[in-house]
Amino acid sequence: MIELEKIVKSYTLGKETVEVLKGITTTIEKGEFVAIMGPSGSGKSTLMNIIGCLDRPTSGTYFLEGEDVSTHSDPELAKVRNKSIGFVFQQFQLLPRLTALKNVELPMVYAGASKKEREERASDSLTRVGLRDRMGHLPNELSGGQKQRVAIARALVNDPSLILADEPTGALDTATSVAIMELFVELNKEGTTIIVVTHEPEVAEYANRVIYVRDGLLGKQPMNGGFPS
Amino acid sequence: MSLFENIKMALMSVKAHKMRSILTMLGIIIGVAAVIVVVAIGQGGEAMLKSQIAGDGNTIEVFYQPSEEEMQQGDWEQNPFTSDDIRELEKLDKVTNVVASTSEYSTVRLRDESTDTSITGINQAYMEVNKLDIAEGRGFTSADFLGGRRVTVVSAAMQEELFEGKSPIGEIIRVGVQPVEIIGVLEKPTGLFAFGSVDTYLPWSAMRNMFGTNNYSQVTLEVGDTDDLKPTGEQATEVLNRLHDTEDSYQVMNMEEIAAGIGQVTTIMTTIIGSIAGISLLVGGIGVMNIMLVSVTERTREIGIRKSLGATRQQILFQFLVESIILTLIGGTIGILLGSGTAYLVSFFADWPSLISWQVVVGALVFSMLIGIVFGILPANKASRLDPIDSLRYE
Ligand SMILES: Nc1ncnc2c1ncn2[C@@H]1O[C@H](COP(=O)(O)OP(=O)(O)OP(=O)(O)O)[C@@H](O)[C@H]1O
Ligand SMILES: [Mg+2]
Repeated sequence: MIELEKIVKSYTLGKETVEVLKGITTTIEKGEFVAIMGPSGSGKSTLMNIIGCLDRPTSGTYFLEGEDVSTHSDPELAKVRNKSIGFVFQQFQLLPRLTALKNVELPMVYAGASKKEREERASDSLTRVGLRDRMGHLPNELSGGQKQRVAIARALVNDPSLILADEPTGALDTATSVAIMELFVELNKEGTTIIVVTHEPEVAEYANRVIYVRDGLLGKQPMNGGFPS
Repeated sequence: MSLFENIKMALMSVKAHKMRSILTMLGIIIGVAAVIVVVAIGQGGEAMLKSQIAGDGNTIEVFYQPSEEEMQQGDWEQNPFTSDDIRELEKLDKVTNVVASTSEYSTVRLRDESTDTSITGINQAYMEVNKLDIAEGRGFTSADFLGGRRVTVVSAAMQEELFEGKSPIGEIIRVGVQPVEIIGVLEKPTGLFAFGSVDTYLPWSAMRNMFGTNNYSQVTLEVGDTDDLKPTGEQATEVLNRLHDTEDSYQVMNMEEIAAGIGQVTTIMTTIIGSIAGISLLVGGIGVMNIMLVSVTERTREIGIRKSLGATRQQILFQFLVESIILTLIGGTIGILLGSGTAYLVSFFADWPSLISWQVVVGALVFSMLIGIVFGILPANKASRLDPIDSLRYE
């Protein structure tokens, strides 16, 4: 499903060039539930953005579902984000002026779905995350956990093959985190590939496999059983 | 994403910042309203002036302008048109009516009161062609003209002046020393330039009997068709100059020249005020650009979210462009309504006709849209170029 080959990402700040990802090679199969862990600043988010087609690697190749997306044009990448990928962010990233239902409809708006289809599928999606009775609410009328559920419903609505969550429980308390992670497990059982970035070992336990990122490279095991934060 | 979807979204965002949107539109509103008012009043005024000067288009005045030579020899006449002239003019092919009159200034007395007035001796065609309607009493009959009866029709201003608005019908007034009976009062004139003057009208024959006037001082020809105006005028001057054995003393005005002159003046005025309005629209457009740039910055995160969900650069560009067009288009529409209302009020209170042509309205709408596009493209382009990752991180 995901094949990364010597992915390098570097930023140029003035005269200095900083290499954030230093050649990452890995494969993630369809239907996996992967957690990415590693110290702060190690490049987890940078890697996620490349996997999510929000960013392009400086060098290296990236195959997503057999397609070389590292050579895709901007509009092609936008289409991949729209159809194949669902994002869940730590800060929820909901549009404050739109109701839960309208927020969930957004990806379908860009997919060109009809109003009727959008409303139907968005309410199905919200029902699935247990927010059937909150559809007309604005984001600031919802709790953190509920907001994250809306974000997950939005990520689901175009039926993507891959869901990417960058610290989805980072802004939530423990009980709410458990509920959100259980939702991911459920989605994974239904066949969706899920990648979650997290600092919390309890969250990583929900995954089938953990990838460790350290200083822009992959490592199999944590060095001393944990990470400095 | 459909255009309709974009328009709905743009309207929502305009509504979300009502005060700001209205302030942004203000420049466009004022500019468009100014254009509408100026053009409406200019075109209305031009049409009115033309019709007032050229009459309703089917009359032409013949005037007498003696040459310097004739003036020096004292060989010129106070009342240059004879009854024979009138009869000859009536014979001309296309002439439907010959209006002839002669005027004097005199004092009119009613018992102890008196007022200065113009006394106009008229022929039978005068009232009809000049569209003077009787408000009270009756007009002149053929018998009045033939018999030279000492009866008079007076203006509404005269009724005010001498009779304090009471009915003067049947009253006898003295013109000079001669008694005349009032048989009718004219309607009050309407129109910006029609200040009611104190007038007394007599059948020309009565005037001749009373004052010993012979001949007429003023002659106007009426033709059936406007196209006949020029050739008929030329024929008339030929006939008159031949009858009086003069070179070029009898002339007609060239209406086309006058109309073109008026057109030129109003065109210059419209251009000047139009350019001022144009500058206001330009300033309005810059205001729109400014606010759209602010709006793009404020909505950086929204743009990042939309992009992460699959919006292309083009879709973002289009979203913001539609928003600025909607902004200027609403401004333009309000401007049109405001301008039309103002033009209407002006024509209502100043009694000045205004003409709002559909071309001007369509032009204003198209122009507002154009401003939206021209000044919206920069902010929209800026929005579309934002990096999604940076935008998502924007606080
Ligand atoms: N646009 C950028 N320009 C320059 N440097 C950047 C940019 N984006 C990220 N970096 C750098 O890349 C490194 C990795 O950042 P990244 O956000 O991927 O870390 P992370 O592993 O997600 O950390 P955290 O756990 O704190 O979220 C950091 O040192 C950061 O300063
Ligand atoms: Mg991160």
